Amino acid sequence: MSRGSGGGYDRHITIFSPEGRLFQVEYAFKAVKAAGITSIGVRGKDSVCVVTQKKDKLLDQTSVTHLFPITKFLGLLATGMTADARTLVQQARNEAAEFRFRYGYEMPVDVLSKWIADKSQVYTQHAYMRPLGVVAMVLGIDEEKGPQLYKCDPAGHFYGHKATSAGSKEQEAINFLEKKMKNDPAFTYEETVQTAISALQSVLQEDFKATEIEVGVVKADNPVFRVMSTEEIDEHLTAISERD
Amino acid sequence: MGDSQYSFSLTTFSPSGKLVQIEHALTAVGSGQTSLGIKAANGVVIATEKKLPSILVDETSVQKIQCLTPNIGVVYSGMGPDFRVLVRKSRKQAEQYHRLYKEPIPVTQLVRETAAVMQEFTQSGGVRPFGVSLLVAGYDDNGPQLYQVDPSGSYFSWKASAMGKNVSNAKTFLEKRYTDDMELDDAVHTAILTLKEGFEGQISGKNIEIGIIGTDRKFRQAPALTLSPFSLKLYGGVMLMRKMTFWL
Repeated sequence: MSRGSGGGYDRHITIFSPEGRLFQVEYAFKAVKAAGITSIGVRGKDSVCVVTQKKDKLLDQTSVTHLFPITKFLGLLATGMTADARTLVQQARNEAAEFRFRYGYEMPVDVLSKWIADKSQVYTQHAYMRPLGVVAMVLGIDEEKGPQLYKCDPAGHFYGHKATSAGSKEQEAINFLEKKMKNDPAFTYEETVQTAISALQSVLQEDFKATEIEVGVVKADNPVFRVMSTEEIDEHLTAISERD
Repeated sequence: MGDSQYSFSLTTFSPSGKLVQIEHALTAVGSGQTSLGIKAANGVVIATEKKLPSILVDETSVQKIQCLTPNIGVVYSGMGPDFRVLVRKSRKQAEQYHRLYKEPIPVTQLVRETAAVMQEFTQSGGVRPFGVSLLVAGYDDNGPQLYQVDPSGSYFSWKASAMGKNVSNAKTFLEKRYTDDMELDDAVHTAILTLKEGFEGQISGKNIEIGIIGTDRKFRQAPALTLSPFSLKLYGGVMLMRKMTFWL
């Protein structure tokens, strides 16, 4: 009879386990959760907003970020291992710039997401590279399809989302967002931002100060990817607390 | 392929002569979403469940059935990311054939080349087999054809086949219902009924995908609109057939 466990290597490199699973990929997902940060993205009628926590209060907040512009029009929110995220962002920036040079138009959101996901798939199939411990949310305004939010994971899956979450409290956040988005609402810009922030607050059960979260947005009337300033975040936080 | 440190194959023989990694890959396929294909006298239909992880996912961004050439389409069961790799390679191979011979690639040849790629990944250094089985549907000078390709790289031509979670029930159902002189409409109807057999929850145009190719040799995907929940539920497919035939 054949040995069941694939020589015990199925936990070390990306080969199949007897149940047909890839343990290294599953462990990569765990690494994303272990980072202890939760992120949320919401797509509205004409805008997309992503929110994430800034965990450590003693760090110099200006040097810490999970929100990266890839091009002027595309943003990427990386949840998980920061070092892996930087590699991914570097490669994505390179790819998007080459795309613009080669084809003469800006790389669309779904094309970049597919590229990221295809690269992640290679790491799940070739033994010499481990999967990255990062879930990437890519956002931008597509010329034809409008606001787009895509999520790419270590397994190489990528989907477009109306709203989504990643990180330690991912499932709770998704449950919260499913309730909010059940009837396919078309959120305005303010509603989009406030849904994202209040989802994070509700799931983590704490009220944030403007310096404790990072918010990134794209709007259809100004499709540039923008990281919100602390003042703007404050305005939205006040609006949320007044609404409640 | 792979780094020099991994220039040994990860898929090796067990003492009993089995390639265990391939068996595990087949297990991965068997836990994937059900898909099936039926070859009719005048065309082929392939179909699959499209169960998304959450209602928050935008289902228009997901397309499980892909076309490889204008007259060949493919569906899978198993790991989506691996499927994308095979689709890309197959499309390139089809295009290279066309550039050389100025003719569309015959279905058997494309299947053979795709299968060869899958076999390479069971023998090359530092890589694992693909965790997908493919159902390739095409129409060329040899008529309608349906092929299944497995992670090992072996392929067979089928009159009707199914893969994934519900494979045994689906195949039994297909065996009962299949006739050699089936028309394409009947085949589509049967395909939907087969999917419905093992479907958890309410079947609708949003959680299945259908791909069809007929004598016009153009592979097309059924737009969700023609598969309204009303037609699927109440009329058990009869109204659906009427809606579908107008654009076949």
